Amino acid sequence: MIFPFVWMMLSSFKTPADVYNYPPKWIPSSFKFTNYEEVFKKIPFIRFYANSIFVSVVQTVLQIAISAMGAFAFAKLEFPLKNKLFAFMQSSLFVPEIVTIIPLFLLAASAGLIDTYTGLIVAELNCAFTTLLIMSFFQTIPNELIDAAKVDGCGYIRVFLEIMLPNSKTAIGTASLFAFLTHWRSYMWPLIITNDVKMRTLPIGLKYLVTETGTEYQVLMAASVMAIVPVLIVYMLMEKEFVQSITLTGLKT
Amino acid sequence: MENTARACVLAGNMNRELGTRMRANNRGAIPQGGNTMKKSVMICIVMLALIAVVIPAGAQTKLKVWFAVSGDSGETFKALLEKYKAANPNVSIEYSYSGNYADTATKVSAALLSNTAPDVALMAAGPLYTGARDDFFIESKLNDPDFNKDDIYPGVWDYAKYNGRICAVPYGISTQVMYYNKAIIEKAGINLKNPPKTWNEFLQVAKTAQTKGNITGTPDFWGFDVTDVPWLFKTMLNQNENSVISVKGTKISPAFNDDKGVEVANFWKKLIDEKVMPVGQHSNAEKKFLAGNLAFLAATSARISRWSKDPNLKIDAIPMPYFKRPSVALGGNVLVILAKDPKTKEAAWDLVKFLASKENQTSFALNTGYLPIRKSGLTLPEAKAAVTENPMYAIAFDQLDISWSYWHFEQMGTMDQLLAQAVDALERGALTPKAALDKAAKELQAEIDG
Repeated sequence: MIFPFVWMMLSSFKTPADVYNYPPKWIPSSFKFTNYEEVFKKIPFIRFYANSIFVSVVQTVLQIAISAMGAFAFAKLEFPLKNKLFAFMQSSLFVPEIVTIIPLFLLAASAGLIDTYTGLIVAELNCAFTTLLIMSFFQTIPNELIDAAKVDGCGYIRVFLEIMLPNSKTAIGTASLFAFLTHWRSYMWPLIITNDVKMRTLPIGLKYLVTETGTEYQVLMAASVMAIVPVLIVYMLMEKEFVQSITLTGLKT
Repeated sequence: MENTARACVLAGNMNRELGTRMRANNRGAIPQGGNTMKKSVMICIVMLALIAVVIPAGAQTKLKVWFAVSGDSGETFKALLEKYKAANPNVSIEYSYSGNYADTATKVSAALLSNTAPDVALMAAGPLYTGARDDFFIESKLNDPDFNKDDIYPGVWDYAKYNGRICAVPYGISTQVMYYNKAIIEKAGINLKNPPKTWNEFLQVAKTAQTKGNITGTPDFWGFDVTDVPWLFKTMLNQNENSVISVKGTKISPAFNDDKGVEVANFWKKLIDEKVMPVGQHSNAEKKFLAGNLAFLAATSARISRWSKDPNLKIDAIPMPYFKRPSVALGGNVLVILAKDPKTKEAAWDLVKFLASKENQTSFALNTGYLPIRKSGLTLPEAKAAVTENPMYAIAFDQLDISWSYWHFEQMGTMDQLLAQAVDALERGALTPKAALDKAAKELQAEIDG
């Protein structure tokens, strides 16, 4: 697992000749930061970075909030057409992104969301998977606990905020990590919905470094090293919840 | 009747009123009427002046341009757009990188459906977004005296056609070039002053290079490989007088599996059987070549500008070998006009004309690694200097005379995938060359028939 990461780190210091060496050369001829400097010269890296952080964080927060509420409804409440709605939500998991991207773009365009943060954020709130993940944890919380809270005068909102959420930190942490990773890596939708370079995110920025006439892999690797820093931070923050969730569910990202 | 009568009365009253006023004016109000006239004239002059000053400034033409080239190519293209903006202050251009060729295709498809398409796009397979939508605006502008369409290589024009009609302007065009590693050739004692002309002659030279020219001492050392299999295979087919596809009216069908096509596939198998080319390692071919573990590499001409900048690379090129006739298949991108309203279309054409001018297209080509598409472009001092400094440019430029392309059709991407699969199957011995081509042709026909 560590091999690609180490390769990427080392390649970010290589010269073009080192990159094309065959058989591959592990250690760069020198450890200079010129490739990192090149990244900032070639693309507005800070802008792309800031956009990616803002969009991914807002998307994650919104997605988890919606998913947790949906999960609570499906796990603990009874309402008309519950099973049909649940099946409908599950079925959305089986639709590939490329199938929905054009209809979604038509909706976004008609709503005037091209080149806006709203357009970037809202259309990618795919809550089905995180809802299912959180729901599976909510189902393990005994109904008696909820009934006791109701007897003590709690309404649905307090049950959700004070019983369900505090008891599901592991699930919510894992779902947040999945959501953040998905949004951080997202490429196609941000490319389709934005034309203005100021609105673009990091995955598109990395693509600026890939050219038809040959890619400077060493520069791309330097950009990629910087691009994964937020992911590592999120992972470190969520590590405990993530390990627990793997133990409980067997899920891996 | 009543309404008609009332209308007649009103009309009569109006005529009478007008008659009275005219008579009054004629009787003694001439000086007063003269002042009114002067005032009116003054107002008209002021209005006209306002129209002349205000309207053109407000009526600045806006053009939206998308381009599917990044890195140095993207920067060069942006610089040309800026140059146009500077020379045309009445035109504002909003430009944007639209992803690689495949991403741009998706983005343009979505944008066309939602009426948010750019006015001009630099993209691959452009004719599928104009000609296939029955938009042949560019064809109607080809006789523009400032454009000189005859200056563009005829083979290059075929790359901009749909159903035999021009609907794009070729721009970032490339062909495959046969590169070689100078050190390997020198060690093998090969003289390439008279390069091999046919593929059979080339096979012998590549074999010699492989057996006598191993400069790295690695056992993984080869005589020849190619980075883009379908591209070279189509070149070889055309060289062997196979048209790749057959066009009858507007109907297209695969033609690559006839006897001439099978001859090409058999030769490809021979390269494998004689162990000059490795099986299925084409994606790694460029790395091997740059590491000195491959004598000859067929790769895009777009590498010339990049490789020539690296002082550590000792590389040169020979003309592409051939079967019955010299020929190279074209690749690259084209300019298309997707604007809808006539005024924007005209403005877009003016921009396209500027970009495809002798100076600008040649400058784009030399800075990016694509090829000049205009014959006159090769007479420019910078093109001549490029050839003098780097003889590989001469090889690539000469190949433009024998460049070839088939018209665009919707299943052309699928055809490339099927050809790659067919070559992979014959290289691995999973299918005979004929069976592999027949299978690809059958599947392509099914795709065309829908």
